Amino acid sequence: MKRIDTEILVIGGGATGTGVAWDAALRGYRVVLVERRDLTHGTTGRYHGLLHSGGRYVVKDPVSATECIHENRILRKTHTHCIEDTGGFFVVTPEDEGDYPDKFVAGCAATGVPCNEISLKEAMRREPLLNPRISRVFEVPDGSADSFLATHATAQAARMAGAQLLNYHQVTGLIIEGGDGEKRVVGAHVRDVARGEDLEIRAQMTISATGAWANVVAHMAGISISVIPGKGTMVAMNHRVLNTVVNRCKMPADGDIIVPVHTVAVIGTTDERVADPENLRIEPWEVQLMLEEGEKLVPGISRARVVRAWAGVRPLYQEDYAGSSRDATRKFALLDHKERHNIDGFITITGGKWTTFRLMAEKTVDMATSYLGERKPCITATSSVPGVDQGPYWLGHRLHEIEEKKLQGQLVCECELVTRSMLENAVRQNPTITLDDLRRDVRLGMGPCQGGWCTYRAVGIVHEMTVSETGHPAESGTAEWDVAYMQSPARNVSSSASAGAPAIPDDERALFNPNLLLRDFLQERWKGVTPILWGQQLKQERLDELIYLSVMNVDHLPDRDLSSPVTEFYRYDTTPNGNLEAPE
Amino acid sequence: MSGHSIDLLVIGAGWSGLMAAYTAANAGLKVQVIAKGLGSMHWAAGSIDLFGYAPDAPDTPIHRPLEYVTGKLAKEQPQHPYALLGKDRLVAALDSFVALTHELGLSYGGAAQPGENLMLPTAVGAARPTYLAPQAQLGGDLGRSEPMVIVGFEGLRDFYPQLIAENLAKQGIQARAVLLPFDVLTDRRDSNTVQQAHGMDDPARRSRLISELKKLAKTGERIGLPPILGLDDHAAVLFDMQSQTGATVFEIATLPPSVPGMRLFKAWRNRLNKMGVRVDSNMEVVSAQSEPSSNGAGPSVHLVESATSARPMKHRAGGYVLATGGIMGGGFNSDHEGHVWETIFDLPLTTPQARSEWFNPVFINPAGHPVFSGGVAVNEAMQPLDGDGEVVYSNLWVAGDLLAHDNPILQRSLEGTAIATGFAAAKAAAAAS
Repeated sequence: MKRIDTEILVIGGGATGTGVAWDAALRGYRVVLVERRDLTHGTTGRYHGLLHSGGRYVVKDPVSATECIHENRILRKTHTHCIEDTGGFFVVTPEDEGDYPDKFVAGCAATGVPCNEISLKEAMRREPLLNPRISRVFEVPDGSADSFLATHATAQAARMAGAQLLNYHQVTGLIIEGGDGEKRVVGAHVRDVARGEDLEIRAQMTISATGAWANVVAHMAGISISVIPGKGTMVAMNHRVLNTVVNRCKMPADGDIIVPVHTVAVIGTTDERVADPENLRIEPWEVQLMLEEGEKLVPGISRARVVRAWAGVRPLYQEDYAGSSRDATRKFALLDHKERHNIDGFITITGGKWTTFRLMAEKTVDMATSYLGERKPCITATSSVPGVDQGPYWLGHRLHEIEEKKLQGQLVCECELVTRSMLENAVRQNPTITLDDLRRDVRLGMGPCQGGWCTYRAVGIVHEMTVSETGHPAESGTAEWDVAYMQSPARNVSSSASAGAPAIPDDERALFNPNLLLRDFLQERWKGVTPILWGQQLKQERLDELIYLSVMNVDHLPDRDLSSPVTEFYRYDTTPNGNLEAPE
Repeated sequence: MSGHSIDLLVIGAGWSGLMAAYTAANAGLKVQVIAKGLGSMHWAAGSIDLFGYAPDAPDTPIHRPLEYVTGKLAKEQPQHPYALLGKDRLVAALDSFVALTHELGLSYGGAAQPGENLMLPTAVGAARPTYLAPQAQLGGDLGRSEPMVIVGFEGLRDFYPQLIAENLAKQGIQARAVLLPFDVLTDRRDSNTVQQAHGMDDPARRSRLISELKKLAKTGERIGLPPILGLDDHAAVLFDMQSQTGATVFEIATLPPSVPGMRLFKAWRNRLNKMGVRVDSNMEVVSAQSEPSSNGAGPSVHLVESATSARPMKHRAGGYVLATGGIMGGGFNSDHEGHVWETIFDLPLTTPQARSEWFNPVFINPAGHPVFSGGVAVNEAMQPLDGDGEVVYSNLWVAGDLLAHDNPILQRSLEGTAIATGFAAAKAAAAAS
């Protein structure tokens, strides 16, 4: 069996885990990170995309508010190109009465969140679709973030600092030495799920950064921690109805925010305690509630087309927990299992939110340092990830680059402006097992047709690459990790521009069965649309059926018994089975 | 005949609408077609799927579809549109369509053995059962034994010959792939199959491609291409390709827009115009008025109103054929509360009125998704029925994807039911007028 020895093993490839790997590698530790699917496949890739100003927490959770504004300022420098400076409004609608707005203003002052009340006229000038019956508007430095790109960029920075990141590597058990009272975690048994191989990773410190799954890993060490999976359902509207993040100025509740992110506007979220962080049902009442609440901020939004719904699961940690999950703290939890459970070599970091991932990573590595011995100081707050030279994200960048370089003929996905070269380079430069990985890389299939046209094209292109390219297999078994300009059409002009990049390694070619890629992606897209299929989007879906069944006959292709590591995951039931009304 | 300037107003310009208009005009009726947009002819493969896969054996293509739909299917599913039609009308409709395609110079044909399904290669290399196909697709018949060379063009985003050849080979079909440089076709980079087909209407471009094909094709090989063999001058392009290469040259349908569908639509509409039938699109019918029952005939449609860019228009006719398509065509709309309704007459539907009953969790599902199987229930004359089995309007007939009790995309029967029910609706309307 293959064995890897390292100093720090990080479990979990979300924002926090990659942040820990980055921080620890920069401090000079040897680091290996394992993620059982693609990076961001858990909660990081399933949130609404808000870069918090801290405004949401100034009344309820002032410590979190201060952390947020501190990190907000840092991330704009360290991850510039992953963040859009949308700004944010906190608005008082006719339903938001009482003294909350005054408490909000006082809370902002107390926590250091910049807050400026602007006139209704000015707010309506900037956001003409806002509810005109709003009475007050406060401006805060909210933003929107591409959590896929940001995490991949952090991962690349970690690799450049020497960390080894293994995705599609699932922990099957912790390696524990010693008996009662002297237990020590010395690494983990890991399965390379793409290739079906087992390996052993030995480490002096094992850090679980598995968020809502933290208890699953804790159980492997024979202990239990109180992480409450809190499911949040979001819906993405076909149009970017707002260019500013808009929050309700009231105590945080369901459906009180609209975040413009890339080409869509996301209404979020519900908050439901769930038993299993994995298979998340999306109940019709949740979608209904998002649309009803969205209506209070932008009248008419519920009649617009919804392109997709999804659910993420927040890791909410609370000691001696009892109550509804909305009340659990957003603050992160850093658990020293030596101190708590007398198990050496094992730390859990959970809770928190995307905006504070860097801070969480810093504190986590500080704790590891207390056991492993001091190395270099933390420098993530003053470093930057590859790609920041592109400046802040702006919505028009893809269209602008495509028009300037005349790349219209290269478009593979017209909805999200993905060119063929962007797709090819994403395959060459990043570990790719499914087309869904490419979706997270370049936004393939995320637009109104939900993969209707680009699924076939992407399968054809990936297949061409597997049969045409004569490759030098990459040494590590994974491709180079290069995401700096992954989303820029102009930086991916032709395949010759990346001639130096390795082709698809031979041992990965077998993974690219085109018929499996096709079936998996069609099912993955279906999973996210069934909760919101009606009206125009139902019509669209029937057209997609016409293409893939009538014209292509993909349901009668060879290789029907093949499956990928995510085939089963894509098949869980998201069809609307419940009621339109929320339970009491 | 009906006392109106129009005897029959056909609403919808897809397969069923055009077939109804053509049939009614042939029967001597004064016909007009109005439509919001275009039907699935512009989106699908351009062939006539009659029936491909039976619900009880979804993996095995139906070998003799005509026999199946008029036999086993009609017995087991007496409400299926084919069962209501019966063999005579179905055969007459198909014959009438094939005769029309000969007249249009865009002949459709079937398998070498009459009555059997063709198996044609798709753009992913699957074998697709269909009953009638344009001449240019017949050369791809997988029932024939000559090996194939599938030819694509580097950078043409809607056609991947290596994928097609690999999947065909996995199914025991001799096929290889060749990728030609894109500049054989064009100097433009922004391009889909429609633009390339249009380019092939130009004899100079055509000969450039022909000389490349001559170089690469081996003796006895058939040449498979994306659907680019001309748009307006298709017959000449196909003739030149075959005669000058000396090989069988065929097209494999791919992503929309559908080149074969566009060819047929254009020629068919011209033909209707020559028969005195106007076909107007951008005219969405948004409402209807009915008249109460008189002389025991039951209620009837009085007029329909369309929305155009200029102003609303009223349309009166003796009879009306509703051929607006189902969920895909826009004949039905639906909302988040689970309501599905027919958009013009609010006809009774069999579709489940709850989203919880619409879908299966797995997309590729032999059982299909129930929301797509519902529709308007009709009698044998294609007249819509209410829940009690009574005819809703005495002068309204329904055809195509609106009909209940089938899932034409899943069963591969979309064009077959559309043509046959369009034909039957027009015949019934003609008989009534």
